Amino acid sequence: MPTTQENWNPGKAENRHPEVTYEEKERLFLEVKNDLRYEEFLYGCYECGICVSACPSARFYDFSPRVIAQAMAREDVERVYDILTEDIWNCAQCFSCVRCPRQNNPGGLVTILREVSIKNGLQESKDALQGYSRVIYKVMLKGNQVSPDMLQPDFFPDWGPWVKNFSENMHVWRKAIPMDSIRGLTDVAWRTDRKTLLELYTIWFESGNMDIIKELDEGLYDLLVEVMEEELEEG
Amino acid sequence: MSSNKVLVIGGGPAGLEAARSAAELGGEVILLEKRERLGGTPDRESYAKLTHHWRDASEAMAELATAATNNPNVEVKYQTEVKGMSGRAGNFTVDIEAGGAAESLNVGSIIIATGFQHFDPGRATQYYNYYTFPDVITLTDLEKMLKEHNVVRPSNGEAPKKIAFIQCVGSRDRQIGNEYCSKVCCGIASKQAIELRQQLPDSKVMIFYIDMRMYGYWENEIYWPAQEKYKVNYIKGVISEVLPKGNQLLIRGEDTTMSRPMEVTMDMVVLSVGMEPSAGTRAIAQTLGIQQNKYGFIEAGGDGGLDPVATSVPGVFVAGAAAGPADLDDSISRAGLAAARAVASVRKVMA
Repeated sequence: MPTTQENWNPGKAENRHPEVTYEEKERLFLEVKNDLRYEEFLYGCYECGICVSACPSARFYDFSPRVIAQAMAREDVERVYDILTEDIWNCAQCFSCVRCPRQNNPGGLVTILREVSIKNGLQESKDALQGYSRVIYKVMLKGNQVSPDMLQPDFFPDWGPWVKNFSENMHVWRKAIPMDSIRGLTDVAWRTDRKTLLELYTIWFESGNMDIIKELDEGLYDLLVEVMEEELEEG
Repeated sequence: MSSNKVLVIGGGPAGLEAARSAAELGGEVILLEKRERLGGTPDRESYAKLTHHWRDASEAMAELATAATNNPNVEVKYQTEVKGMSGRAGNFTVDIEAGGAAESLNVGSIIIATGFQHFDPGRATQYYNYYTFPDVITLTDLEKMLKEHNVVRPSNGEAPKKIAFIQCVGSRDRQIGNEYCSKVCCGIASKQAIELRQQLPDSKVMIFYIDMRMYGYWENEIYWPAQEKYKVNYIKGVISEVLPKGNQLLIRGEDTTMSRPMEVTMDMVVLSVGMEPSAGTRAIAQTLGIQQNKYGFIEAGGDGGLDPVATSVPGVFVAGAAAGPADLDDSISRAGLAAARAVASVRKVMA
């Protein structure tokens, strides 16, 4: 719809998602607001900007933890939807922002927003996390995040020729490490105790993390469940 | 002939406290009040609750008045105005008109406690249209409604659902001439916002401000609860105009922290009007020949700035908001000091 004098409303200038109904945006907003943690993550905002000054992401992206806190506090449903579909993926979740004089936790708000985004299957969350399937697979199944065999030239071209050399001779390099928990391993960074792994699997299921994965990437979910359930049955 | 009497002009909180304290220090006090009753502006303007102890204003003013009038050393003269003064510290002759009858008083020292008045929003340089739209009201108007537990839109008698406070109306404005901060409006607006949310739980309340100036314990007693418990929204940015939209009011401003222009509709707009010297304060300065500052308040501070109750005339002291914007704590504290100085001044002369 073209902007005319009749429909022009600067108060709604940020409405960049006219295809989504206000009711749907409000439902998502309320899901965030009704989260148990919300009350302890957002008290009131001075608009002092200490969270922004401490935020590494704010230096590189159009990202402001202050705006997130304020948009939530003001119940600005349209703006929160924008944040839900975009801003939250620019947060590094480092929680440098928790030095707030009012004891707000903007990073924690981002955590809730991300969970709501994923649980509701927002396409933006799928897009944002697409590149992380391997990491998710590795963390959830093996209990550690990065493994040597992930260091492949096609994934790390910016690391230069050294990666190619390493990836081709990975087993040799790893055999040279004089520590039992690491030596010779390439598909994990370190050996995870079997009991610990089974506990982790149980936690993933009980905490609702598996439901989140299912919403995000069903193929990955099936893959994980198959292995986990088998291991748990044996264990 | 030297006199040991202390004359207190004005029966508001500052005058009442000055009278009581001077009497308790052994002074003989004459308290002049223009109206037929004590209690000053909080009484005349029907204040509901006071910052920062949330006390009922009438009850608190009655307590101050009783403390003064119960003291046998305090004589109150109602419906009295000062017409002239001569003499000097220790021996002033003050001409008054009490209930139409002229009288001359011989006093040793004088305390001016003639207070302030609320800024008239008709003088605002922004387009707030106080005299045009009935739903544009002032802090004082809202205070009366809150006191009666009857907050309604004057235009239709219905309870407002969206209410905006606009801060710094008549304060911090070079164009108006009031460059000073009126000191109390942030606290009072926030206090009223809490009361609104208590009386109208379904309402949305927003406060548009330049800076929030919440001194000392106002922070934890008013500001934080308003924001955290009562979900009052504070938005940095001042409204430039109030316009009609249907049967509502459209307010226009910049949401500076979100960095965008903003137009929102409201059911009621409350102008946080600041403080100006009362007509009585302006008049008494002329009558007594006391120096005023550029805003019309009594010039106070003494030569070194360390005597906040000293005026340009020795033996004449000032208390309360006659010397500039003050909350109740300020007024009463200054009244105590003025009483001490006034009694000491009399003793020095008598000795």
